[in-house]
Amino acid sequence: MSPIDPRLQEALDGERDPGDLPADLREAHARLIAATQMLKATPPVSVAWRVMAEIRENPGRVQSDGPARRLIRWLGRPRAFTVRLRPVWTLALAAGLVTVLLLPWSNGGPTPGVAQGIASFVGHFPGARSVEVVGSFNDWSRGTLHLNDDNGDGIWHAKAVLPAGQHEYMFVVDGERWVPDPLAGRYVDDGFGAGQQNSLLIVRPVSSQP
Amino acid sequence: MVNDGAPDMEVVAQVLGGDGEAFGILIRRYEPGLLRFATRMLGNPDAAADAVAESLVRAYRHLAQCRDPGRLRSWLYRITGNRCRSHLARRHTNDISLSDAPPLADGSDTWAVLERSEQVALVERALAALPAEKREAFVLKHVEGMSYEEMATVTGARIPTLKMRVHRAREALLAALEEVVR
Repeated sequence: MSPIDPRLQEALDGERDPGDLPADLREAHARLIAATQMLKATPPVSVAWRVMAEIRENPGRVQSDGPARRLIRWLGRPRAFTVRLRPVWTLALAAGLVTVLLLPWSNGGPTPGVAQGIASFVGHFPGARSVEVVGSFNDWSRGTLHLNDDNGDGIWHAKAVLPAGQHEYMFVVDGERWVPDPLAGRYVDDGFGAGQQNSLLIVRPVSSQP
Repeated sequence: MVNDGAPDMEVVAQVLGGDGEAFGILIRRYEPGLLRFATRMLGNPDAAADAVAESLVRAYRHLAQCRDPGRLRSWLYRITGNRCRSHLARRHTNDISLSDAPPLADGSDTWAVLERSEQVALVERALAALPAEKREAFVLKHVEGMSYEEMATVTGARIPTLKMRVHRAREALLAALEEVVR
């Protein structure tokens, strides 16, 4: 196998008019194009019925619950107290977080059940118009967990009561940019190839807190 | 209710809104290409059909994770490509066997068709002899007609890497074709 003339590669990449190639390269170009045409036949089979049958058997998993149903489910869970500490960008932010985390939840904050914990999400997104969290805990649905930046310093934060255990999540910035949490510390492949990673969050149950 | 011509984003929204039947629109839209891609990757129509079916079910289950429904095609190819790679890994080889090569010509017995069938078999053998990553790059570029940018989205590889793979695949295919001409 010998290297192909770069001009032929350029023509095959659409960067050069094949008509400008020397005769021998034009012939090779035509041969390769003809070969690729032969590979374009579509197999005369269909898997549509298999896929739709599988979907009909279990149609609900892709659907995300509506806000009312999520609220009812949330209200129906027992409440307890726990805090999840995360790395911080600056010492000042760390101090602020510690202050917030040390506040007793009985002062009006959400109270997790025995098998639940409170997750704190913090992200530094200066100039962002909105930041929200999607993850395995909300079926990757947008519009359910928004972060706030009340003082406009670019540091967005939110808390949520989540079932204890491991959750995957991402930030969605300005409604369109999906980014992993740079402070997560742990990441996991999203399972769709291409090396994309979800952030990993481990929520400790209240019973494990000192 | 969305119709068959609705943009991907509308159909995805419909499915996520609870209309699972709308996913059939996406299947009809992308199944032919996905089957063609998987068949070229795996060399076996049955294995390809399984890979595509599994990929589509997986896509349905995780549709809410599709970060850009406007680029649904890339996302579906990425899932299918991943499935094909898993399948090849289970076989302990990236090469597909010649006996697996799918018949693509129709059943007519005219000489012209038979001759074309031989040519198709030759090209398929040359493709099958390529390492999986070069085969994937070549198929995405020349069979599925993707840009290098879209290929990068599908495979996760960098564009210069993909260009190199496509170039090497072309060289191998051309060498195989010229071998027969001699």
